[in-house]
Amino acid sequence: MLRKLLKHEFRATARIMLPMYLILLVTALGSNLAGRKMLGPSDILNILGVLIVMAFGFAIAGVLLMSFVLMIQRFYKNLLQDEGYLMFTLPVSIHQHIWSKVIVSSVWFIATVLAVIAASLIVAFQGGFLWELLDFLRWFFEGLEKLKISEALNGTVYLVEFAVLMFLALAAFSLQFYAALAAGHSRANHKMLWSVVWFFGFQFALQFAGSLLFISLDRLGIRNFLNLNLDLDMSAAAAIHIGLLLMIVCVVIYGAIFYAVTTFFLKRHLNLE
Amino acid sequence: MPVLECKGLTKRFGKTTALDEVELAIEPGRIVGLLGPNGSGKTTLIKLANGLLTPDGGYIAVCGGAPGRESHSLVSYLPERTAIPTWMTARQLLDFYGDFYQDFRRDAAEEMLDHLGIQPRQAVRQMSKGTREKVQLIMVMSRAAKLYLLDEPIGGVDPATRDYILSTIIGNYNPEAAVVISTHLIADVEKVLDEVIFIHQGRVMLQSTVDGIREEKGISVDALFREVFKC
Repeated sequence: MLRKLLKHEFRATARIMLPMYLILLVTALGSNLAGRKMLGPSDILNILGVLIVMAFGFAIAGVLLMSFVLMIQRFYKNLLQDEGYLMFTLPVSIHQHIWSKVIVSSVWFIATVLAVIAASLIVAFQGGFLWELLDFLRWFFEGLEKLKISEALNGTVYLVEFAVLMFLALAAFSLQFYAALAAGHSRANHKMLWSVVWFFGFQFALQFAGSLLFISLDRLGIRNFLNLNLDLDMSAAAAIHIGLLLMIVCVVIYGAIFYAVTTFFLKRHLNLE
Repeated sequence: MPVLECKGLTKRFGKTTALDEVELAIEPGRIVGLLGPNGSGKTTLIKLANGLLTPDGGYIAVCGGAPGRESHSLVSYLPERTAIPTWMTARQLLDFYGDFYQDFRRDAAEEMLDHLGIQPRQAVRQMSKGTREKVQLIMVMSRAAKLYLLDEPIGGVDPATRDYILSTIIGNYNPEAAVVISTHLIADVEKVLDEVIFIHQGRVMLQSTVDGIREEKGISVDALFREVFKC
């Protein structure tokens, strides 16, 4: 059933995001042309060129903003407004509902970043750009040949760890909003106001707990523990792996807390109007 | 086995008791009118049966189990408002119901949509309010469910649409299932009902067959409703 939820969630969001990407790519092409062909003695072409470049700027802001708005709006409108009457009476679990929203939002966040990178490359594309790109790739692969297996392996694993960290961070970021919305909408009145209050409440609680944890670790003599148990002569490569994995663990805990809060309110205190 | 059973079912919203120790049982093969004035607790009862609310006391069972994922595949629910996503086209809506409900009869739904003159590419948002309600009802009644819970299906529509809705319900429900129709427009639904449940201020005041009311009291359900709920 999760697969079916994902299918319909992608269908619901793609109708908004794909045209946004198209606008981004078209304005990027326009900006490229403006940079190469329109700057010159003609005032009209100059003004037109500047307007196109501005449109590209707005398009970047637009896709970034839309992927964020869509993350909140889909959860709010599809689950907590009128459509919730349909969604919560489907033969699917609350967990599947939450996962479908989290996965789709995270995928669109990543797709948005890739689209912005692609659009920026289009803007930067010049006559010699392709050759420069080929030179860069040649230099990159020549560099790879000089690497030891351990270095290449470490690099690949860093990339994987970083990608996992980014995906989990985006999912956890979405879950904090979902938890606030679910908690706020369990109230009988002023649901959105309560959602905002819950969001800032969560934020405050997180910062408070984080500070408390650092102070406690310091008081417990974490420095002594590190001195005794950590091999400070370990390689930088291993230290980076440990750092990334620790960050992944922290993000998973952060996300799991908000996942549990969201599930609790949707399961036990669902209060559709 | 009753398809819907409540024992001591209680639901409160703050200090207001919406349902108070409700006891009822609905057997399969019956069309039941859940009748009561506005604010009597009809919608709350239907929401509880759909798992959209959790009870504060007592017990509610749908097809022998607590409302949840399993019961959702057996219950076809028509909410009192338009819940179908308005951005979807008629075809996407058919896909949606077909994907999630194994008992969805796509051919029956397509036939009814065609009868209404709705094109597969037409988006729900392009339809009038009345047409949206009809489309939602078509989706709900195209399922071969065990229990149909229809919340105010004829509220706020013109008499011609009421006739269409009632004929759609009667013409499409699974005869082995129970149909619960919540409404306060008794005269319009009386002719299709087997049984009635009167609910007032969160309490069940009467559960009886329509024939039983006519034989015992010598009046119609509509007349009895007016007598019981006289202001």
